[in-house]
Amino acid sequence: MPCDELPDNLKILWKEVGANPSMFSPDQLRRETDRLQAKRRRGQIVVVSCMLLFIATYGLAFFLFPNTLARLGGALTVIVCSYWLVHALMERARAASDPGEKDGLSFYRAELEHTRDTHRWLSWRWLLLLGPSVLFDIGVAQIYAKIWPLIVPFACFDCALLLAAFAVWLPLKNFRLARKYQDCIDALDAASGKDEAHRDV
Amino acid sequence: MDLKENPDELYQKAAKEYGAVLARMAYAYEADPDLRRDLLQEIQLGLWRSLGKFNGRCSLRTWIYRVAHNVAASHVVRQVRVKRITPSFLTLEEAEAEAGGEDVEISTGRNQALDRLFTLIQRLDPLDRQVMMAYLEDLDAASIADITGLSTRNVWSKIHRIKSVLSRRFPRGGRNAL
Repeated sequence: MPCDELPDNLKILWKEVGANPSMFSPDQLRRETDRLQAKRRRGQIVVVSCMLLFIATYGLAFFLFPNTLARLGGALTVIVCSYWLVHALMERARAASDPGEKDGLSFYRAELEHTRDTHRWLSWRWLLLLGPSVLFDIGVAQIYAKIWPLIVPFACFDCALLLAAFAVWLPLKNFRLARKYQDCIDALDAASGKDEAHRDV
Repeated sequence: MDLKENPDELYQKAAKEYGAVLARMAYAYEADPDLRRDLLQEIQLGLWRSLGKFNGRCSLRTWIYRVAHNVAASHVVRQVRVKRITPSFLTLEEAEAEAGGEDVEISTGRNQALDRLFTLIQRLDPLDRQVMMAYLEDLDAASIADITGLSTRNVWSKIHRIKSVLSRRFPRGGRNAL
C-alpha cells in the first residue's frame, strides 16, 4: 500500500523546480511569431523550388531524349513528382487544431494518427517512383550504350539501388513506423478505456 | 474572468500565475537543456496564440494546462520522428512492475531524487505524464479529467498507480525527510 507522506514530500520537491521561469513578453512572442513565419515561408520556397527544378529537368528529358522508354520514364516521373508536390503543399496548408480546444487524450491521439497516416501514405507511394526511374535509366542506357558501353552495368547497378530503396527499404521502414504508431494508438485506447477497434494497418 | 480581456493581458496574467508550472512541464517533457528551452518557448508561444480563442467554456487554468500539455505532446511526437527512434513509452503498469532495486531515498539527496523523478516522467507515455504532473501540481481528479479527457474513475485509478510507483521508487527517508 503506498505511503501518503512520500508523494507529498515529492510534491514539495517538485514545486521547487522552475521557481524563476524565463517568460517572454507578448512583444517578444509577436516578434518570434513573425520570425518563425518568415522561416517557414523561406523553407517552403526552397522545397517547392527544388521539386519544380526536378520536375522541369525530367520534363526537359521528355523533349531531349529520342528514346521511347526514356521519354515515358521522364513523363511518368513528372506526373508522380507533381502528385507528391501537391500532396506536400496540401499537408502544409492543413489547419492545425488549437491546442486549447482539445483535451489531452484527443489531441495526442490526433497527433499519433496524423503521424501514422503520413508514414502509411509514404509506405507504398515510394513504389510509384520506382517504375518511372527504372524506365528512364533503361532508356538512357539504350541511347548511350554504343558510345559508352560502361553505361549498361552502371544503369543495372542504378536500377538495383532504386529497387532496393523504393521497393524494399523505404516502404518497409514507413510501414513498420505506421504499425508502431498504430500500436501506440491501440495502447492509448486501451489505457483510456475506450478500446475501439481502430486497427487499420 | 472578463472574456473580453485583451489576450496580451490575459497572457501576462497566465505567465505570472502559471509560469513556474509551464517551466516544470518543459523539464518533465524534455531532458535536453537546449530542446527544453525551445519547448518552453514553444509552450509560451502556443499559449499566447491560443488565448485569443479562449472562450470561457472551461477555466483559464484548464485551458493553460491543456495548451501546455498538448504543445509538449506534439513536441514528443515530433522528436520521436526527428530523432528517428521508435516510440516506446512506459505505461504506469510497466513502471510499477519494474520499480524496485533502484530506490533512492529522498533524504539522501534532493537533486538525485528530482533527477530520478524527471527521468521516470520523461519515460512515461505522454498521457500518463499529464496525469502524473497534474497530480504533483495538486490538481484534483475532476480537473485532471477535464484536462486529459480521461474519465474521473480512470484518473483515480492512475493516481493510485502513480502513488504506488512513487512510493516504491522513493522509499520514505523519515517523516521529516524534506
